Amino acid sequence: MEQILANGLYLGAQYALIALGLTLIFSLMNVLNFAHGQMYVFGGFVTYTVVAQFGLPFIVGLLASAAVLAVMGGLIEKFLFRPVIRRSKREESTMLLAAGIAFFLDAVILLLFGEKQRGVPKIVNGVLNWDMRIIMPYDRILIGVLAITLIASFILFMQYSRTGRAMRALAQDRMAAQLMGVDVDRYSMIGFALGAMLAGLVGGLLVTITGINLGMGGPTSVKAFLMIMIGGAGVISGAIAGGFILGMMESVGLTLLAAYGDITYLVIFATLMVFLAIRPQGLMGKPWG
Amino acid sequence: MTQTASTQTSAAPAPRQMLSFENVELYYDHVYALKGVSIELMEGETVALIGANGAGKSSILRAITGLRKIKSGRITYLGERLDGRPAADIVRSGIAMVPEGRRVFPLMSVKDNLLMGAFTRTDKAGIDQTLESVLTRFPRLRERFNQQASTLSGGEQQMMVIGRALMAKPRLLLLDEPSLGIAPKLVQDIARAIVAISRDEGVSVLLVEQNSRMALSISNRTYALSTGQVVLSGPSADLMHDERIKAAYLGGEL
Repeated sequence: MEQILANGLYLGAQYALIALGLTLIFSLMNVLNFAHGQMYVFGGFVTYTVVAQFGLPFIVGLLASAAVLAVMGGLIEKFLFRPVIRRSKREESTMLLAAGIAFFLDAVILLLFGEKQRGVPKIVNGVLNWDMRIIMPYDRILIGVLAITLIASFILFMQYSRTGRAMRALAQDRMAAQLMGVDVDRYSMIGFALGAMLAGLVGGLLVTITGINLGMGGPTSVKAFLMIMIGGAGVISGAIAGGFILGMMESVGLTLLAAYGDITYLVIFATLMVFLAIRPQGLMGKPWG
Repeated sequence: MTQTASTQTSAAPAPRQMLSFENVELYYDHVYALKGVSIELMEGETVALIGANGAGKSSILRAITGLRKIKSGRITYLGERLDGRPAADIVRSGIAMVPEGRRVFPLMSVKDNLLMGAFTRTDKAGIDQTLESVLTRFPRLRERFNQQASTLSGGEQQMMVIGRALMAKPRLLLLDEPSLGIAPKLVQDIARAIVAISRDEGVSVLLVEQNSRMALSISNRTYALSTGQVVLSGPSADLMHDERIKAAYLGGEL
């Protein structure tokens, strides 16, 4: 039992970080970023390159992923989403654009990093064994703690910084935020950069545990959408709740349902369909939009 | 401060021009919203814009705040051209707006809502000082300081968004239908608050109202609009007794 909870927490923290980035972009710009999983994969490869190829410390690799993805996110917003949003009145346009970016990033990843599964050497060795109740390698614990720290920092940033407040205002009432003097273009770009950065950070964190490969992008996007559907799109608390719930469900499923074959995701999807039929706005609702 | 804007008279000559519209035209897609509107507002003055729905009152405010681009004509603010400047710039130059329908940030606390009003300011001490004065003016906001804005009543929300606009320390305050959807008893409070603000802070006020009686009673001058044009203007005290105004705007109202 403890083992399942610990695994769920560890997984949930990574998932929540991914969902936070996705929900931030959605709430600020009403854009469903289908390329979120690819951004995560890209971040993983950046960390891999810096750590395994250049032989630099892990933390440098992680910061490099954050920086590269933040810049990439900012550029994507400024040169792709902004002009499309300005010229098109239809929401499908940004969806198509996001899907296009996903395919494009897949191609770029293939060109730059190849199709092989990549990983980095363990950053810490050893395994925690608490009375045979929880057995967890130290590197997983470290990555889990890092992810939770990042979630906490993100919440504090959104809650108490001037920039965070402006982004919340923008998400809740675009026109009123504009009247307060919030530069919509500038903060949309900051938000997109921040969302992409979070995806990159998770990629950098998980490359140390599970490694990274080209094929992980699409499924990660799907999982991220699951999480914000569970929690309620556009809500920070919803993204976190969705992330941890999916992490827990996977952890429970992989342990309890293993005997019946690989049916965890089948059960999760079926449950989610029923859940959404009853509560389409997700747990935390979707109070704006 | 400079001079106090008395409410019922138009005798005091205004010192300098705060805002002017010269022949401003504005479209929504292909529909005219403003057809050659010229208005002006002097420093310290409270000017009301009255008229039916769709007369163009709110379009005037949107043109000032840069939310809508004008088609032709000219808007000047303190002698400088205003139209064409980005919305954030306009706020920074001292123009704050209380939008129609209040537009609170529903999931933010009263505190954060008010702080958003001071978004363009960077003087920490000054912001704290303004916050204190807003909370003194609207004691209910102090009681609800850490509550989510969506839990406030309509009247409290209206007080909060007026406070939010004051947080910018504006020289020109734009109010778009502050009485809309507010209980009649509270409309009085809001009217009093507007008078007090213009008196205490020396702010010029441009007030858009469908409640013409309220607007006429607290403003120095009034412009009556109809289908995107100014059809009548003058000192509010005179217009209050004007037969045309009575017939068109004061008829069946409370």
